[in-house]
Amino acid sequence: MLLVVTVMVPLLTGVALILWGNARKTPFLFIEGSTLLTSVLTYASIFTMRGQEVRLFPLFADLEISFHLDGMGLVFSGLVAFLWPLAVLYAIEYMEDDRRQNGFFAFYTLTYGITLGIAFSANLQTMYFFYEMLTIVTFPLVLHYRDQKSRSAARKYLYYSMGGAAFGFIGLVFVIHYGTTTDFLLGGVFSAVPEETKSILLMVFMLAFFGFGIKAAIFPFHRWLPVASVAPTPVTALLHAVAVVKAGAFALIRLIYFVYGAEFLKGTWVHYLLYSFVLITIAYGSTMAVKEIHFKRRLAYSTVANLSYVLLGTIMLSEAGLKAALLHLVIHALMKITAFFCAGAVMHKAEKNYIFELDGLAKVMPVTFTCFTIAGLSLMGMPLFGGFISKWYLAEAAVADGSVMGIMAILVLLYSAAMTAIYMLSISVRAFFPKKDFDTTTLEGIHDPSWKMKTPILLFAVLILVIGVSPTPLVKLMSLVAGGAL
Amino acid sequence: MSGNYSLLFLCFFPMVGSIISYLLGRWNKKVRDFFADGVVLVEFLTIVVLFFKASTLNEEPLQFTWNLFCMRGLQLELDGFRVLYGSVAAFMWLLTTIFSREYFAHYRNRNRYYLFMLMTLGATMGVFLSRDLYTTFIFFEVMSFTSYVWVIHEETPEAMRAGQTYLAVAVIGGMVMLMGLFLLYTATGTLDLEKLLPAVHAVWEEKNAMLFLSGALMVFGFGAKAGMFPLHIWLPKAHPVAPAPASALLSGMLTKCGVFGILAVTSNIFLHNPTWGFWIEMIGVVTMFLGALLAVFSINLKRTLACSSMSQIGFILVGVGMQCLLGEENALAVRGTLLHMVNHSLIKLDLFMVAGAVYMNLHKLDLNAIRGFGRKKPLLMFSFLMGALGIGGIPLWNGYVSKTLLHEAIVEYTELLHHHGGNVALFKTIEWIFLISGGMTVAYMTKLFVCLFVEENNDKKKQKTYDEKKNYWSKESMVAIVLSACVLPILGFTPYLTMDRLADLGQEFMHGEAPLHKVHYFAWGNLKGGLISIAIGAFLYLCVIRTLLMKKNEEGKKEYINAWPEKLDLENLVYRPLVEKLFPTVFGAIFSFLDRYFISVPFVQKVLPTVFGTIFSILDKYIIQIPVSVFVTAGTFLTRVESSLGDWVIAFLRKTTHKQLGYERSVIAEDKLAYTLGVAWDDLDEKLHHDGQEHPSHVAQLMESEEKIVRTFGIIKGSFAFGLLLAAIGLMAVLIYVLMAS
Repeated sequence: MLLVVTVMVPLLTGVALILWGNARKTPFLFIEGSTLLTSVLTYASIFTMRGQEVRLFPLFADLEISFHLDGMGLVFSGLVAFLWPLAVLYAIEYMEDDRRQNGFFAFYTLTYGITLGIAFSANLQTMYFFYEMLTIVTFPLVLHYRDQKSRSAARKYLYYSMGGAAFGFIGLVFVIHYGTTTDFLLGGVFSAVPEETKSILLMVFMLAFFGFGIKAAIFPFHRWLPVASVAPTPVTALLHAVAVVKAGAFALIRLIYFVYGAEFLKGTWVHYLLYSFVLITIAYGSTMAVKEIHFKRRLAYSTVANLSYVLLGTIMLSEAGLKAALLHLVIHALMKITAFFCAGAVMHKAEKNYIFELDGLAKVMPVTFTCFTIAGLSLMGMPLFGGFISKWYLAEAAVADGSVMGIMAILVLLYSAAMTAIYMLSISVRAFFPKKDFDTTTLEGIHDPSWKMKTPILLFAVLILVIGVSPTPLVKLMSLVAGGAL
Repeated sequence: MSGNYSLLFLCFFPMVGSIISYLLGRWNKKVRDFFADGVVLVEFLTIVVLFFKASTLNEEPLQFTWNLFCMRGLQLELDGFRVLYGSVAAFMWLLTTIFSREYFAHYRNRNRYYLFMLMTLGATMGVFLSRDLYTTFIFFEVMSFTSYVWVIHEETPEAMRAGQTYLAVAVIGGMVMLMGLFLLYTATGTLDLEKLLPAVHAVWEEKNAMLFLSGALMVFGFGAKAGMFPLHIWLPKAHPVAPAPASALLSGMLTKCGVFGILAVTSNIFLHNPTWGFWIEMIGVVTMFLGALLAVFSINLKRTLACSSMSQIGFILVGVGMQCLLGEENALAVRGTLLHMVNHSLIKLDLFMVAGAVYMNLHKLDLNAIRGFGRKKPLLMFSFLMGALGIGGIPLWNGYVSKTLLHEAIVEYTELLHHHGGNVALFKTIEWIFLISGGMTVAYMTKLFVCLFVEENNDKKKQKTYDEKKNYWSKESMVAIVLSACVLPILGFTPYLTMDRLADLGQEFMHGEAPLHKVHYFAWGNLKGGLISIAIGAFLYLCVIRTLLMKKNEEGKKEYINAWPEKLDLENLVYRPLVEKLFPTVFGAIFSFLDRYFISVPFVQKVLPTVFGTIFSILDKYIIQIPVSVFVTAGTFLTRVESSLGDWVIAFLRKTTHKQLGYERSVIAEDKLAYTLGVAWDDLDEKLHHDGQEHPSHVAQLMESEEKIVRTFGIIKGSFAFGLLLAAIGLMAVLIYVLMAS
């Protein structure tokens, strides 16, 4: 029952906040407290509830909505539970002058519950159910500012996500019809499928991949993500760099390894087609990030590229690839949330949105930009930073892959790393080393944010370094998960 | 973690110290300066103790392993070569740190400089102590990034641009190197330098192409830092713009980290491999010659020294190539390479610090501006002269010894080739290029020396202020610079006592053996090579530099001119356009195109509606609309006809049988009732309100109502007639029906 309670706490908190209304004062302690409680419950579930199945209610026939916490769910829920309370802390300062605070926190907390639901799902229909819910509860967050831009962004987000879910649904129906079960099983559920239905299943797989892949921003369905960066920064940072988009990647890992099975897909035309789409997305995201001059949109494009790093590991269809994908899923979350939080701090404190306005800002916001540089170096794959670890395993898996695609993957990774260096370091260089005749008086009155924003940023930056220097525990955990031992 | 912790201390103590010094510097700058000196001194003393232990006791090399560090573990070792180079590094850091205090006295951001200086020291130590290429790579990358801050320290536009180039080369080099490591690891399954040689032997037959590729990638990465052609582009730009102590370290030490990597790859993967040696040799020859040529043309003090560094790296690479070509008998090449590395580090330390002393006083580096500064400053002259003689390969100075060894190696190989009946033309040419490059070294050093210490400035007033300047350096700077200068002749005068021992200590790293016979450095055969170079140098100086590279100005005085064509710059000509224009343009264009025309909003909102809209509107207009409109028109007509049939009947009747009679229209109402009632209501109203205000009369209102009632009654009356008529017609119809039916 612990799993159900864990999911219900944030959902009920969210509902309570909606009823509380925007007019009244925001109960910060209540929000932070209930988020922390959820995280504690999540970790309690991880340690006590692993492997147990919780049946919620039957849907129809023999389909059920049920929870089951396995290794994959452990990784995703553990990651989310770690980040969420800190992001709420950050949001409390970031949203301090907002009129619709309570509404914001209501949906923010609801999203937490839904995301945990995705992580805990025992079968495809449960995951699909929460996946759809995720779109609905995050929609008001994108719409938060209610201006022209956010309305069009929210509309776009809704169209893409709902469209994607429709394709996902097709996949679900076929799995119910042809599969032995809809439960997640490492190795797949299509063990007894006759040869002639294979081709239709592959076709459906492609549809479902793009369907679920829309949340993971795979090219050419990535457009909603850069546009959605009009949302408040806590949303962009946590949802559009971690929870929502990683839920997309998570769903794809589930679909590939736990429903279809790596063996079923390996070497088929779908495999190579999707492999090339993933590579295109990486090249695309990193190139567009270099060309983008809006701070948060640049990071959003970087997210597009990095999500496809995770998908690259996934689509290698090997244990080493899955391990690399999971590592990047976790480490990228840390790096990107740091980078976004820094961008948010700059927007909140200095009110600067474009990269060309950032000259010399590091002189007055040293903590923010030091952490940003750490995130940037890590994204590039500098040794001693976390990003290096996941990129190393990705490249190693690609080399071990040995196919033409593997070599292409290495080249794309190289290209992307060079582009990452340009788009991340150019910001740091600008901020730390302004031109010699730079007028420092324009920076007066700007300073680092208060502890509420600084704590998460510093904590994540330190964690990136810790993982970079001593990654062994994390790598071991991922090996166990990828091998199906957890 | 296991092994000797002093190795870990050597790598991480400066890094920890750097952070403490940064924090101290925010509180008190003086304390910070002393603390930084202290950190470097402790580092130096530690490695010196280890150096004496290693050189006197014949022990197993110290080792240290930290398995959990950064995934694949940290592997350190301290054998002869490593302890030697670690000592050189610590020595250079010590002197430059001492010199830094005066040099940076008027600089901003000193705290930042010290932070990154100490960090780089730790990283450099890590590179030299690494026993495993993975460890090398990690420290190498850290070093690349921390030293970036040196290059851009002055934050001038040139410095920022040079820094950009430096960073780009470092990033690309690092990534390419990483790919090389992957390939090597895939091929052999290890990156440990000790295990690499047997592992390579085991798989050489089947995987040699892969190994060559991985070697090339790694040398690309290491060579980028070493300033190897064609990746040298950053070097002549970054070294001059960095502050002088940093230039000394960049030139003397950081390039050697690159060379260290090349040596590690060469002697552990391609030991005695002639193909590999040949290519390294060729690259070395080009680097050596091109660097010297650029230095001859340069008219900027530090740029000349930077180009000279590039050239000397070329000499070292020639030695590396020779190690492979000579195979088992490569003792001379091994020792020459090693000694030239050490010599070049020490010489460049001295020369760059002298250049720093000049810059500190004048804030200029242009030869025409600083001309004559060194006159009547004997100690400065001594320091520069020692470096110049050393690098020029003048007998009795240290550079001579190593250059002789390298030259001998080439000669030996030529003889060997001749002995086996091979074609010696190529290596004869290489020998001559070697000698000419040596000659050019003499020429450009003479140029600098004459300019700084012999000639007078064209501007008499300036010369006077230069001459009067006695207080041009502080005590501690003087000690540092003169000390660095004194080392050079000491090594050069006692090659058997000092340099041979250094070579013995370090050659094991390159799997070199002691030479079969002792080399007589001052025998005629060896002196001859040096003297030929000196002669070429004298000739070049007199006939090229004094004539072609100097021109008379308007006042008739000779000036140094920059005769190197501006356009001839590999970076601006090839690399920058490639990286800045071609890649982003090509990829950017492709993606923007896709973005804009295929998946974007306009596509959905404009293109799709336009295309389908046209199709449908054509269908609409020409195929669907005509029949529809025909049908609709006809239908409307018919229904109209049908529905108005009754009206027509009535209208017809009215015109014919029921035509109304032409009587006068009577007055509809007399309005009497309305008038009476209205007046009464008005009176009542007035009585009830008593406020004296005018109220609108109710008479008109009531009259209007009355008229309406009367008119309505008229209409009703008229209609009754029609109604009766219609009822009658209906009755008649019924009657007819009944009659017909019955």
